[in-house]
Amino acid sequence: MNLDLHALTAAVYLLAAILATLGASLRNSRVARAAVATLAAGALVHAGAFLAFHEFQFPPPSTGLPGAVSLMAWFGTIFYLAVALRLRLRGLAVVVAPAAFLGVFFAAIARGTGPETPAEAGALWGAVHVVLASAGLALGGVAGAAGLLFVLHHRGLKQKRRKRSSLPLPPLEALDRVNSLAVALGFLLISLGVVTGVLWVQETRGELWPGSPHANAMLVAWAIYGALVISRSLSATGALQAARSAVIGFAFLALAVAGVEVLG
Amino acid sequence: MSLVLVGMNHRSAPLALREHYAAADPREALTKLVGDEIAEAVLVSTCNRVDVVVWAPRVDVARLRLRSFFERDLAREGVPDCGVALEDALYEFEGAEAARHVFRVASSVDSMVLGEPQILGQVKDAWRLAVECGACGSILSRLHERAFACGKRVRNETGIAERPVSVARVAADLAGEIFESLEGKTALLIGAGEMIELALEAMRGAGLARIRIANRTPARAAALAERFDASAHGLGDLPGLLAEADVVLTSLGGDRPLLGRPELEAALQARRRRPMFVIDIGVPRNVDPAANELEGVYLYDLDDLGDLAEANAAERRREKIRAEAIVLEEQQRFDGWLSALSAVPTIRDLRERAEAVRAREVERVLGRLELSPDARDGVEQLTRQIVNKILHAPIARLRDQEDRAQGLAILETARDLFDLDGREPGRDEEGASADPSDDLED
Repeated sequence: MNLDLHALTAAVYLLAAILATLGASLRNSRVARAAVATLAAGALVHAGAFLAFHEFQFPPPSTGLPGAVSLMAWFGTIFYLAVALRLRLRGLAVVVAPAAFLGVFFAAIARGTGPETPAEAGALWGAVHVVLASAGLALGGVAGAAGLLFVLHHRGLKQKRRKRSSLPLPPLEALDRVNSLAVALGFLLISLGVVTGVLWVQETRGELWPGSPHANAMLVAWAIYGALVISRSLSATGALQAARSAVIGFAFLALAVAGVEVLG
Repeated sequence: MSLVLVGMNHRSAPLALREHYAAADPREALTKLVGDEIAEAVLVSTCNRVDVVVWAPRVDVARLRLRSFFERDLAREGVPDCGVALEDALYEFEGAEAARHVFRVASSVDSMVLGEPQILGQVKDAWRLAVECGACGSILSRLHERAFACGKRVRNETGIAERPVSVARVAADLAGEIFESLEGKTALLIGAGEMIELALEAMRGAGLARIRIANRTPARAAALAERFDASAHGLGDLPGLLAEADVVLTSLGGDRPLLGRPELEAALQARRRRPMFVIDIGVPRNVDPAANELEGVYLYDLDDLGDLAEANAAERRREKIRAEAIVLEEQQRFDGWLSALSAVPTIRDLRERAEAVRAREVERVLGRLELSPDARDGVEQLTRQIVNKILHAPIARLRDQEDRAQGLAILETARDLFDLDGREPGRDEEGASADPSDDLED
C-alpha cells in the first residue's frame, strides 16, 4: 500500500515536471500554474505515503538512503510551494518538480531492494536526525536550484540577448531571496541534524563523534553553509557569488552524502 | 445578402488622409449609413484605420454607398494635403474576404505594431456603439463575436503579443526580470528632457516608492519633480542618490560619460550589493559601458534596448504565420454558419411555395369531386407525402453546404428555379393547367 502511494506520488510529480516544462517552453502561464497545483497535489499524496508508512512502524525505519531521499524530495517541494505563494517563482518548478520526481522514484524502486535499518535502541534520535538532516539537505537543494537559475538568468541579462528557446526564468531578486532563505534555514536544520546525530551515536554506541565518512562529510557541508550564511549576513558577497556558492555547496553535499551512502 | 468592407489603414493611406476621414461622430455616421441599401454596419475608426463593414442586400450598391459614405459623411472640412487620392487609399473586401479582414484586425495581425493589444478593445467598442445605435444586427454581431474569440485565440495560442516591441516596454520587461516588483523601489532619473518626462509618465503607475530627479539645472528638475510628485536634486547629489537607486535612467547631454565604473562600484557597496538596473538613453552615452562588468549592475543603452525590441518584433513576425492559420480557421467557421443561415429562408420559402401550390390544386380538384371526408383526408395526406418526397432531396442538398462559395451558388440556383424571389405563389398559376404536359405543349 505504502509502495503504491510512493509510486502514485512519483507519477504526480512526473506529471508536474512535464507540465512545468511545457508551461515554460510554451510560455503558457495557465500550464505553469497547473504544474504548481499538480506539485502541491503530489506533496499531499507524498504526505499520505509518509503517514501510511508511519502507521505500520514506529520509529520509522527511514534511516536508509531511500527514505531520506524521499523525505528530502518532500521537504524541498513543501519549501518551494511555501515561497512560491509569496514570490514570482513559478519558473523554479522546472527544476523542483523533476528533482522531486527523481527523489521519490529512486525511493520507490530502492526501498524494496535495499535493507532498511531496523528500529533499535536510540532509533528515535536516529529518526529525528534523518528528518532534520534531510530537510536541511532539501533546502540546500532548493538553494542550489535557485542559484543555478540565478547564474543562468544573470548571464542572459549581462549578454543582453535572448535566444528563441530561452525559458522564462523567475526574477533575479526572487531567486536571490529563495537562495538566502533556503541557505539560512538549511543551515539551521543541518546544524540541528548534526546535534541530533551526535546524540544518536552517543546513545547507541557511546561515542561522541563516530568519525565515519558520512559524519565527516556532513560536518564539512555544515561548515560550507555556515560560511555562506555568515558572508551573506555581512554583505561580503553579492547575489551572484551567493548563487554560485549555493550550487557548489549542494553539489558537494549531494556527492558527499549520496556518495558516502551509496559507496559505503 | 453579403458582407462588404471598405476601409483604409496605415499601409494604404498616409496619416493625413486617415485623420481626414477618421469619424468625428461614429454614432451619427452609422445612423446615416444604415437604411435600404445597408442592413447592418459597424465602423472602426482608430488612428491607424477607418474600416466600415456592412451586411447589405446588393454588393455593387453597397460598395458605391460606402465610397460615398467616406466622401460625404466621414470627410472633415478641407482637403488633406498628402498627394494620395481617396479612391487609391481605400481597399474593398467582399464576403469571406471581408470576414477575414475583420478577424485579422481583431487579432492585431493587420496592426502597425504586430500583436498590439489595444485593437481588440477598439473593435469591441466600435461593435458596442453600432449595437447601441441600432446599426448592428445578428449577422455583424455574430461576425464580431467570432472576431473577438479569434483575437483571444491568437493571443493565447501564439506568441504574437508575448514579447514587447517598444523600447519603453522592453525596459519595463527587463526591470521585471531583475526585480520581483517595482513596489517599494527607488528610481533615479538623471536629466530633465522630453525622454525623462516620457519615462516618468510610464513609471507613474509602477508602484515605485520614491522617484528622484537629478539635473544640471536644479530648477528644471524641480519643475518636473513638482508635476510628478518626485524630489529634485543637482548632479552633486549623485553619489548619495545612486546608493539608494534600484532603477537609474539617464538622458543627459554631454561629451563624456557622467557615470563610470568607480561611481557605480561605490554605489553598489553602499547599497550592500543589491542589484541596480541602469538604463542609459543618452546620446552620447551617459554611463561608461565598462560598468556592466560589475556584478550587480545591469546596464542597457539605447542600442541594447533597440536590438531586443527588434529581436522581439522578428519573433512576432514568425508567430504571424500561426496567427494567420487561426484567422483562416475562424473565418471558415463563420462562413459555414453564415452559409447555413442563408439556407434557412430559402428552405422555408421553398416549402411555403410547394404547400401553396399543393393546397390550391387539391382544393380545385376536390371541388369538382364528391368525396367522403375520409377520402378527402386521404387525398390531402397523399399529396402532402408526394410534395415532401419531392422536396426531400433538394432541401437536404441546401442544408449540407460545406463549401461556402458553392453553397451560395446552389441557394441562388434554387431560388431562381423555384422562382422564390419572384411572383407570389399561387397567383401566377391561376390560369395554368394542372397537367404539366400542357406546359410542354405550349
